[in-house]
Formats: sequence, structure tokens, C-alpha cells
Amino acid sequence: MNGNDETRALVTLRVHRFTPRAERNRSRSGSPFAKQSSPFGSSSARRPRGKQWVQDYELSVLPDTTILDCLLTIKRTQDPSLAFRYSCGHGMCGSDAVAVNGTPTLLCTAKVKDWATPDRQAAIDDDGFRKTASADDASPAPVQGGNSLGVIELAALPGFPVQRDLIADIDPMLEQIKRLKPYLQASGKLATTKDGNVDVFEYLQQPEQLAAYETLSNCIACGVCEGSCPVFAGGEAFIGPAALITASRFINDSRDTAADARMDAIDTADGIAACQSVRACSRQCPRGIDVGEEIWQLIAKVKERQ
Amino acid sequence: MSPKHVEQMYDALIVGAGAAGLSAALGLLRSERITAMIQSGTTPKILVISKLQPLRSHTGSAEGGIAASLGNVAKDDWHWHYYDTVKGGDWLVDQDAAQLLAQEAPATVINLERSGVAFSRTADGHIAQRKFGGHTAQFGQQPVPRAAYAADRIGHQILHTLWQQCVAQGVEFAEEWYVTDLVLNEHRTQVQGVVAYDTHTGTVHALHAHNVLLATGGAGRLFHTTSNSWDLTGDGMALALEAGLQLEDSEFVQFHPTGLAHTGILISEAARAEGGVLRNSDGEAFMQRYAPEHADLAARDVVSRSIMAEIDAGRGVPDPKDPQGPHDCVWLDMTGIDPDHMHAVLPQVVETIKEYAGIDPTKQAVPVKPTAHYTMGGIPITTDGEVYTWVDGERRPVAGLYAAGECSCVSVHGANRLGGNSLLDACLFGNRAGAALASRIADTMGTDDTVTVHSTTDDETTGASPSDDAVAAAAKARRNELQTLLTAGGEADDRADAESTPQQPATKDDNAYQLLADLGAAMERALAVRCDSASIDAALQLVDGEFATRARALHTHSDAPAFNQEITAIWEVRHMLELARTVLCASDARHESRGSLKRTDYPERDDEHYLAHSMTSRDGAVQWQPVHIVDMPPQRRDY
Ligand SMILES: Cc1cc2nc3c(=O)[nH]c(=O)nc-3n(C[C@H](O)[C@H](O)[C@H](O)COP(=O)(O)OP(=O)(O)OC[C@H]3O[C@@H](n4cnc5c(N)ncnc54)[C@H](O)[C@@H]3O)c2cc1C
Ligand code: SF4
Ligand code: FES
Repeated sequence: MNGNDETRALVTLRVHRFTPRAERNRSRSGSPFAKQSSPFGSSSARRPRGKQWVQDYELSVLPDTTILDCLLTIKRTQDPSLAFRYSCGHGMCGSDAVAVNGTPTLLCTAKVKDWATPDRQAAIDDDGFRKTASADDASPAPVQGGNSLGVIELAALPGFPVQRDLIADIDPMLEQIKRLKPYLQASGKLATTKDGNVDVFEYLQQPEQLAAYETLSNCIACGVCEGSCPVFAGGEAFIGPAALITASRFINDSRDTAADARMDAIDTADGIAACQSVRACSRQCPRGIDVGEEIWQLIAKVKERQ
Repeated sequence: MSPKHVEQMYDALIVGAGAAGLSAALGLLRSERITAMIQSGTTPKILVISKLQPLRSHTGSAEGGIAASLGNVAKDDWHWHYYDTVKGGDWLVDQDAAQLLAQEAPATVINLERSGVAFSRTADGHIAQRKFGGHTAQFGQQPVPRAAYAADRIGHQILHTLWQQCVAQGVEFAEEWYVTDLVLNEHRTQVQGVVAYDTHTGTVHALHAHNVLLATGGAGRLFHTTSNSWDLTGDGMALALEAGLQLEDSEFVQFHPTGLAHTGILISEAARAEGGVLRNSDGEAFMQRYAPEHADLAARDVVSRSIMAEIDAGRGVPDPKDPQGPHDCVWLDMTGIDPDHMHAVLPQVVETIKEYAGIDPTKQAVPVKPTAHYTMGGIPITTDGEVYTWVDGERRPVAGLYAAGECSCVSVHGANRLGGNSLLDACLFGNRAGAALASRIADTMGTDDTVTVHSTTDDETTGASPSDDAVAAAAKARRNELQTLLTAGGEADDRADAESTPQQPATKDDNAYQLLADLGAAMERALAVRCDSASIDAALQLVDGEFATRARALHTHSDAPAFNQEITAIWEVRHMLELARTVLCASDARHESRGSLKRTDYPERDDEHYLAHSMTSRDGAVQWQPVHIVDMPPQRRDY
């Protein structure tokens, strides 16, 4: 372990904030909720209007604190209005994908020491602030008062409309996943013995058959790969890497009987044809899925049929 | 996602989209009668409301497995599972319910497999199973592999599969909607609907329904150190209390012995099974002293209590991340495990420790402390998921109100839950509740056109007058409160004086997040692992005094309602206080120690007086409901 980890230091979280403008005029006397017209006002793709600004928060933390913990501390002690999604706190629920220094990743797995960089705005001596372990080791002195790890810049996940502060509307991703019938379509047959009696009730699957899709089934639909993809986040018509991973999960499941239809569904201009194999999607997947490679194999599989 | 439009009357509202809520939705839609109805052109109006997008639900964090006597790896029998469940629960288990649990477990797990769960497999392709604490063969003789697993991600697999099947069924969701009120009729004999708050727009909806099912999960956030996710604030339990209903056995909270120091994140029991040893500040492997036979692998509640006894005796250690902090941890020493072996069999454990403690467990001891893990008690239900109140020695049902999952108490866990039984409870009794709902809908649909339909979703100016529409009235009250919450913190001249809170915030900078943290610390001091009447009293004073005052004075720090998380945080912490009070009162009333509840002032189990479920209402009054004993009279619980 890095001995320096036990010493607190300052870090600045530079947050790109956004507050949507109320959709109607607020009257001070009456209830502002009286005349809400539509219950689904916010889910459309149109860009919301509102107030946008950048806010710095300074905290004293241990270097291996997660950014999520920093933000929770900010909510508690500095600014309860800061908005960001979170739930499990340990990389399992997929709630908290944001752009950290421009790179999509999960708040709850990103640590201060791995992302803080010297502040480019305030010109300070950057010798002690390199984020490499060796630089840290070289300066084991206590860092009370003034010693700073630098700045971490946070913004909502790229490729999706911002709803408030670090909250993005990822419904488009879920809609694209749903379009691909993301559920097992099996034969429904029970295994029987030679003389026709029901033998086992579950579908049998050999460990090797499981291995063909197990990793894919670990996707938590966080959207990190989507936000990293220049095609998807660039706004082009593309069903997106997460949806393709879901399709591949079922195509490779020995129990599923709809592989052909599934391949047809992605063999489209906004399906596999839109993938440019940039492979940026693989880098930060919190479940360790090599998204780019999986899509590459999926494309080969689809092509193979013809 | 929000619903395309809000119906004026729902056949069923399901609140919660974890294993229990989604299982209920599927149980309902897959039932024969509803399938037939849909085929003949009558589609019941069903909405699943969840404060989180369903895939973010806490079910996704479950790691170990789901119990069922499939016998795929070694001979097993549901009778053995039944026995283990009753014994594990220290005989505070309703045996009719536990029988169903054990009997229907294999079908439940097989259904999950056939729905798509990527279970780990045996070499011949069957669902793989592993051993889990307390699950035995031959009525306690030797451990049996009963937990069906999917590597260490069973919850993720189940949650995603159930959601996928709901997508297949076209289930409609109201995501990131927060239910603020459960509305019953005046005599609390019939459900009328709920009030829900759409966090996207800041809109309060009055949702009328013939049937409501609560599946809102547990309440681990009552305690500072917990393995539960941030959303587990016991909402459903508080909603029931506020609607005038009772909670059953709410004093029973399971503490898992090895939470990762200040994070509370779970370190699996497997770490000790593979050779990890608990040590105190003297380096002593103290479990030898408390449980000479099983040592570090004694039952969960035994190990948790031993750890607390060491800490209480001043032999705890501080979390290295906070060396000046309290000495409230002990060491989990895994350095005796061969590093290669550790990486091979405990990959997730090693990763979690490295990731969240910055420690290499092959070289250094890991700070651990007991972490709040599971609420055994909850909203009382029958084995068909119907909510009831215990009145005059009888179960009085609330027509149309159902519950399932961790927020409910069908009483299969009694005073202590066995690992692998809670996912089973959520899926199995969720499914049963869905089926019961289906029958009720099929029975009543078409016959209830007498129901008046009010237009009350958003527009207060039209529709029925609140006096004859309790749901609309509750929604109106929420809207007014919301307005106060949003504006109370604004500049003084910006505030209409009529709207100001009765007590202006004494601590202007207070907020819901801070209050939640303070409550968690107080509850941990009072109840974690052990308690006595003094510790309970001290916490009750805070809950009724300082915390209640602070909760009343809370307001938001931004007046923009859309995605204003502080609003739900305020409602959550108020729910937590409601629940905290009930848990404290129930703990106070039980003058014995049983399962997870250790009262140092009443250290023994007392079957003569307390072989009964506590039924606690909002005012703190406790009634006692006898345990259903079918064929297993209470015995000693030794392991
Ligand atoms: C770390 C960990 C590991 C575990 N491992 C296992 C295991 O190996 N085996 C096992 O059997 N059990 C395990 N458990 C326990 C098990 O995971 C839970 O008991 C179970 O998942 C609970 O499911 P549920 O559907 O009741 O609740 P949850 O999955 O918590 O779902 C609650 C739902 O309610 C919604 N909700 C809550 N309040 C509101 C509101 N006010 N308005 C609208 N919606 C609301 C939420 O959005 C969510 O969708 C584990 C628990 C933990 C903490
Ligand atoms: S593939 Fe990985 S990065 Fe993409 S959504 Fe799934 S878990 Fe997230
Ligand atoms: S909070 Fe669940 S993945 Fe980060």
C-alpha cells in the first residue's frame, strides 16, 4: 500500500452544473404545480433550457477516497443542492456514470488519487502533484494546510441530454436496449428421458456454453461505453455499444432460439454498420467487458451468415 | 421512463422494482386468468412505480446465492431446508410460511433459470449449488450445498432477468417516482391508492387504485455502517406506519460480522471459510475463546456479538483511514491464506478490499466491523401477500393491499435470516402476491363499474372535491408541503409568510443528508448488535427530541423542483425517523435475547413470554401475535 494514502490533502472538484428552467411561470401566490400539463414532459430528446455554470468545491480528503464519497460529503457539508445519481456505492448498480476529466466512468469506483490533476487555471508548482505513485511516495510529509492534490473536473455523461448537474437522461440507451427484445426466448421444452418422462425442468447448459456469454451477462447498463463512443456520443444514428452487448448476450446463450432474428435486428445502418471500431468503449467498462472486441466478434458472426 | 399518461384508476400499483416488485408484476401477468383476460381484450391497468430505475435496485448487489433443495450437487430434501429455516430464525418463524418457502423453492429457482438467469453450472449442465451458513442435511447433521449461484453475482442476474421478462410483458414503469403516501379508507380496511412524486418534473400525482403492492426493500440506512445501498430508507414500512398499520418483528436487524470498516461494504463469509482469522488489538484470535468449536465460522450473530464484546472491552482497533477515530473495528487477518489461492477463490473479496480500503489482504490485516445487513421484520403479510393488522387477537386484512420482499414480514426469517433465503423470499412470495392480486383483479373486474372516477392527477381545479376523495386530499397536502419545502430556505423577502414552517430552522444550514448521518450514528450506538434499555432510551430521546425538531425544519437549498434530490432526501429521512422510533419501541418491549436481538439486560431467550411476534404501531404500542408452530416445538439453537 501507498503509505501516503493515510494523509489528507486538498482536492478541488470542478463541477459543470445545470439547473433546468421551470417549464411554466411560477406564480408566488398559487401553487406552481397546479397546471402541470403533461406527466412526461422531460423524457423527450429536446434539449432542456436552463442555467449553466461551473462550480468549484474544495475538500480535504484521503487520496484513495472515491469521488462519490467526496460528492456525498459535499452534499452533507457544503451544498445539498448538488445533484448526481448514486445507489449501491460499489460498482454494481450502474447509476453513477459521469464524465471525470472528460472520461466516462463510475463515481463510486473513481478515486481522487487517480484523477486529480494539477490545476491548469491556477498556475502552481506542479512538482508534488503528479498523480503517479512514485511522485506521491517522494513526498510523504503531512499535507495539512495548503497541500493540494489538484483538480477533478466532473460533467454529466456525454452523449445524453443533461437533466440536472451530473444527472443525464439515459432513457435513450434503455429504449435502444428494449428495441432488441432483451429477454430469453427459449423453446419452452422440458428435458425428457428416452421413454418420454420429464427428466429435468431447468434448461441444461454446459459450463462451456455458459462461458460463451457469461461475461456479457454482467453488463450493468451504466452507459459508460456509450458515453465513450465517439460515434454514439457524437450524436450519429447508432444503436450504441450497450445495446449490442445485450444482443450478443442472447445470441451467444445456448438456450436462446432467436439468434437469427436478433442478428437481423442489428444488421442495419444504425446497428453494427455504424460501429467504426474505435474501441474507446472498452476502456472504462466497470464490469471488465472488452466491449469493442465483443462487438467485433458480433459483427463477424453476423457477416458469417451471409 | 414515466407513463405515457396517468390513468384515473389502476387495477394494481406495484411500488418497488427489485426482486419482489418485479416478481409480483410477473406473477400477476403470467397468471392464467389475467392471460385469458388480456387475450379476450381486457387489459388490466398496472403500473410499477420505483424511486430508482429498476436495474439500480438493491437486489442487484446480492452476491452469494438463492437457497433451494434442488439436490443438484448433493442429496437434499425440502424438509431439511424447512428445519434449517426455523432453527436459523430461533423459532420465531411461522412454520406454515417456512414450509411453503422450502417446498416451493425449487420451482422458484427453476423458473428463474427458465426466464434467463445465467446460473453457474455443474459439469453435467445443471444449476450449480454451494454451501451456505446454516443450511444442512439430515436436520442439522452436516452442511449441504443448497445455494444456487451465478458466480458471485446472483442478485444482478436475477434483477436483470426479471426486468427483461417485464419488458417482454410490456410492463409500464414510472421510474424515479417516489411514493410519499399510502392512502386507505377511514377504517383502514381497504386501500384507495398512493400519492407519488415525479422527481423529473417535480409533480405530485394522486394515483387511485383498487390494489396496491408495496415492495420497497429494506432499511439498512437506519445505521451508519451498512451493506445496503443508499436508497434503502425503509419507505414502505414507514408508509404503512403512517397509514395507521403495524410493523411485525421490526426489532430484528441482522448484522453481518464483516463489513469493511468505515464503508460497511460486505466482505463475504468465504474469506473466513478460506482461512481468514479475526484478531483484536492484542493480535489474539479471539473467536477461539467465544466459540471453541466453530471459532471464526460460528453463526453470524454469534461472531458479530463476539466482535462487539472485544470492542466494548477496549480491544478494538481504529480504521487505519481514521487513526484518530474510535477503536470500533477488529482485524480480519487473511495473510495466512496462500496468495495464489486467495486470488483464485476470493477474487471479488480481494478486489473490494483493494478498491475500497487500499489494502493488500495478502500482506496486511483488514479492518472490519459488523454491518447492518437485513431487516427480518416488516409489514405483516399472509402467505398470499395480503397485508393485515393484528386487532383483538385476530388478523384483520386490508382489502387490496399487498406487500412482498424485504419490506414485508411473512415471517420466514423469524429472529435471524439464513443466507440465500431472502432472495428466495422476495421472488417466491412476490410471485405468490402477484398471483393473489391477479385473482382479485379477475374476480372484481367488470363488477366494479360503480367506482367513481375522478380526474385528480394534476389539476386541482377540476375533479372531485378533496372531502370525498382521500387520495386527492393527500396529494393536495403533499403539494402544499412541497411548496413549503422549496421556498422555506429562500431569501426572506421572497417568501410568502403564509407558507413558512411553524418553526423556522434553528440550524439554518442543516440538511437531510446530515440528519440521516446523525440518525445512523445514534441508531448504531443504541442498537448495533447489542442493546439495553438505557441505550434504547437515549436514542428514543434523540429521535423524539432533537431529530424530530430538525426534521420538521428541513427545507431545500434550491427552489427548482426538477431533479431536486433534496426533496426526496427530506421525505426519506422523515420516513427513517418514523421507522427508527418503531424499531426502538419494539426492541424496548422485548425483554429477552433471541436471534439477532441481544439485550444485555435480558440475556436469555424467554419462550414462555416472547415466543410471539411484536406488532408495533406508530404510537409505539406493541401487541403480541403468537408464532405459528406446526410441527417443530422450540429447541435450543446450537451450532
Ligand atoms: C450486500 C448484500 C448481499 C446480499 N446477498 C444476498 C444473497 O446472497 N442471497 C440472498 O438471498 N439475499 C442476499 N441479500 C439480501 C437481498 O438482496 C435483499 O433482501 C433483496 O434483494 C430485497 O429485494 P426487494 O425486492 O425486497 O428490495 P430491493 O431490491 O431493495 O428493491 C426495492 C425497490 O423499491 C423501490 N422503492 C423504495 N422506496 C420507494 C418509494 N418510496 N417509492 C417508490 N419506489 C420505492 C426502489 O426503487 C427499488 O426498486 C443481500 C443483501 C446485501 C445488502
Ligand atoms: S458494457 Fe460495460 S460500460 Fe457498457 S453499459 Fe455494460 S457495464 Fe457499462
Ligand atoms: S453507485 Fe452503484 S455503480 Fe456506482
